Amino acid sequence: MRERLVVARRELGSLRSEKTIVLALLIQLFIAAFSSFLVVGLVSLYSPNASQGNYVVSVGVAGNASDDLAPVVDADDKRRAVVYGTESAATRAFTNAEVDALLVATKYPNGRVRVSAYAPEGSFRTTLVVVQLKDALSAYERQQRDHLSSRLTKKPLDLPPESSGSPYYGFTYTILVPLLMFLPAFISGSVVADTLSEELERGTFELLRVTPLSIPEIVDGKAFAMVALAPAQAALWLAFLAYNGVRVDHPVSMLVLVTGMAAVLVGGGAALALRLGERRDTQLVYSFGAIAVFGLASLLPESPQNVVAKLAVGSPTSLTYPTVAAVAVAAIGAYALARRTAAGMT
Amino acid sequence: MNARRVLRIARWEVGKNTGSIDRRTAAILVGVLVLLAAVAPVLVAANPSPGQGIYRVGVAADDPYYPAVERNPQLRAVEPDAGMVTSGDAELRIEGTRVYVGTSSKAQAALAELRSAVVSYNDYLMRHEPDDAAAFPVSVTLQYLEQDTGTTGGTDTGDGGTGGGAGTTVADGGDGGTSTDGDSGETTPAGSDGGGTDGSTSDGGGGVPALPGGAFGGTQSGTPSSLNPPFPLRSLVLAFAFLLPLNVLIQAYGSSVIDERINRRGEPMLVSPASRGDIVLGKTLPYLVVAAAVTAVIAFAVGGGLPSVLAVLPLAGLFLAATFLGAMLARSYKELTFVTVFVSVPLMAYAFVPAVFTNVHPIAAISPLSIVVQDLEGSRIGVGEFLFATLPVALAAVVCFALGSGVYREEDMFTQRPIPSKVMDALAAPLKNRRRVALWTALFVPFAFIAELFCIAALFVVPESLALPVLLTAIAVVEEAAKSLHVRAGFLRGKFESTRSAALAVGALSGVGFFVGEKLTLITQLVGLPGLELGRAAFGPSVGANPLVVVGFLFAPLLLHTVTASVSALGASRSRRTYLGGFVLAVLLHVGYNLTVVTSLA
Repeated sequence: MRERLVVARRELGSLRSEKTIVLALLIQLFIAAFSSFLVVGLVSLYSPNASQGNYVVSVGVAGNASDDLAPVVDADDKRRAVVYGTESAATRAFTNAEVDALLVATKYPNGRVRVSAYAPEGSFRTTLVVVQLKDALSAYERQQRDHLSSRLTKKPLDLPPESSGSPYYGFTYTILVPLLMFLPAFISGSVVADTLSEELERGTFELLRVTPLSIPEIVDGKAFAMVALAPAQAALWLAFLAYNGVRVDHPVSMLVLVTGMAAVLVGGGAALALRLGERRDTQLVYSFGAIAVFGLASLLPESPQNVVAKLAVGSPTSLTYPTVAAVAVAAIGAYALARRTAAGMT
Repeated sequence: MNARRVLRIARWEVGKNTGSIDRRTAAILVGVLVLLAAVAPVLVAANPSPGQGIYRVGVAADDPYYPAVERNPQLRAVEPDAGMVTSGDAELRIEGTRVYVGTSSKAQAALAELRSAVVSYNDYLMRHEPDDAAAFPVSVTLQYLEQDTGTTGGTDTGDGGTGGGAGTTVADGGDGGTSTDGDSGETTPAGSDGGGTDGSTSDGGGGVPALPGGAFGGTQSGTPSSLNPPFPLRSLVLAFAFLLPLNVLIQAYGSSVIDERINRRGEPMLVSPASRGDIVLGKTLPYLVVAAAVTAVIAFAVGGGLPSVLAVLPLAGLFLAATFLGAMLARSYKELTFVTVFVSVPLMAYAFVPAVFTNVHPIAAISPLSIVVQDLEGSRIGVGEFLFATLPVALAAVVCFALGSGVYREEDMFTQRPIPSKVMDALAAPLKNRRRVALWTALFVPFAFIAELFCIAALFVVPESLALPVLLTAIAVVEEAAKSLHVRAGFLRGKFESTRSAALAVGALSGVGFFVGEKLTLITQLVGLPGLELGRAAFGPSVGANPLVVVGFLFAPLLLHTVTASVSALGASRSRRTYLGGFVLAVLLHVGYNLTVVTSLA
């Protein structure tokens, strides 16, 4: 055991002296920052009422159903209805940008209302306007359905109250946290493949063999260092998220899962490097292989991403922990594979 | 440069890659690829969502809301129990028409999801009604039309510019306010009423925004719930498909380059009559050809045209160039892996993130991928727009290759030295005489340009009042670094004497180089990025026709750049500490100048 720890310590030491681990952390910080930026950008652009709610969209209303439609448009204080007597007056007002949007509503004898909606093209406001139009017209649809409910065989359900919550709450837990948990594992696997194929290509592996260490012990030591690195980075992320006010539940189970995933990828990476010997081949097969592993794992009843999301958000199911256990079993399998490949080299 | 030698080296490179893969590797690779090919369609069919069942809703199986909850992937129906919401065992509980909601933000998010679940369930119910007019009493046709005023948000507080840009031209336009109307592309009138029609899209489901793909511009029609803000999701996903193969390609390329440096394998090539340029070009050519071929195939498959291929190629070039430079600097395979990831992630972000805002926000213009998106959407692409998106990227690629080639020599390839010291080598290598300093400063302008665009992209969500000072500082740092880093490298590696006169001469040359290179940024005027307030701040306003102002705008930045570059060069000629001091002083001067210009113009 002592010998293996020596190899592990040396491995970590070389990472430290190259300072490349700083690069890795920077990348992850970058990804986190940019995806958060993306979400903020998306929220402000595509769901503007979630962020800046002070802009009032003025909507021109015309057509024979204006009397029904205008009050619905006005019902929300983010919208203001302006009724025009004729369609041409309304169109003129829209082209001159006196109103942000235009609805021309025509009621037909069968009860259906056909609405021609116009929104300004290609601008910041477009999204905001369309969101408000959609909101108003959906409310109008519900109202009209109510009027015509005698003609329906089933009554539509009443809507639950509107929520003050951000529609992007889920993003942090379903995309960002899984990404931050699995990225270190993926990198660890790649690095162990690198360090082994470099030793093999430079011929320094031969030097290690004349030490009292056996090949499996050398591989063990290197793999151990890399597997340990993944949960350490993940834990750093969890702390960082907590510091930023993102509550993450079940951190311990998540770290176990990350360790398991890292062990699977590191075991696989080590086995490939020992088998193939050359970095180019190893990395190629490793990249595709890692994608395949994630793809396969996604087909589980609960995918690893989903397990992380559920653990983080705090709603694990009866399948969540068995999945974590399954990953641990797979990790032991990958270790055995790397071990057997290493033993085959002597 | 000798074409025959380049081609021979390229042939070797191809031969090395195809010939040396042994049977075992090939077998494993084929196995993995077959596995992937088998998994991919299953994944597409099963479409596992990472957000599956993250919100728990207590609802009885006979409750009318039960099917609505069941149909939504993010919601999970659990056995209702009176105290479950307060105890935190569920986010929501439904009893009859009452919904009990917890106080957490998670519960609020769950409620929003429930609301959209009920909306889509109602639509589903109504679709089975015999009386269609009563089930969907409102039908909408949404059209996008141009309005008569300037488009960008209507803010336009005149102009906000700075010395960053020296925008002289476009005297005819007059005020800087209404730039976005005339110029090319940017809008998608008519054409292609993409998907999105008939209200049958049964809720996007997945984790992030429920923004189904489909129509972009053009016309959408259907029920109110099928309306969606214009969002080129499909095109974006397809545009992303162009980037993925590049990541695999740079893996192979990086391996091949660093391979030359292991055990002095590249030495025979170095002592051959082939020049460094021949070797680098020859080694790169096959990968560039593969990139072009793959891009063309993808473009053909997803319905893109020549503009897509032409827009992706510079990006592929930059991916390869950055990898090449990384492989020249890295000390080990491990380091190369980190460097490769470090290269590809920001590049992907640079290409992809602005493209998300294609046709919504002028910031999209900086990314070559928005050209691809526009091409896929079938809209017109202006020449100015195309150049604006691709030229900085292409120039940056050339510069990376040039820097990497500078250290493609024995003393750098086969030694183990820290990255910063090799960076200094790479920067100093091309500085054969003082005039080269001006040339290289000019060459760094595209990088400064990209970095500044990046800052704008990162800051445009911040309120403008706060973003402007931060941005001005960031720009000053970027530009001063571009003017002084290689100067420092030159002094450090003894390319110039460490005298005051040499420092002043080199600094002045660097400033002039930057000034000339900066004129490149004038192409921003063609795209309308100055219409955006931050863009104006970075790249200068369009100045009126007053000749005195024009002259002032021409020479003030020239003076600024020479002065600040000389200050940092003076510092660079001594030691690391004096360099830092000079650099900080130069940045302060620059920021001061920018702030003065902004306030005097406002």
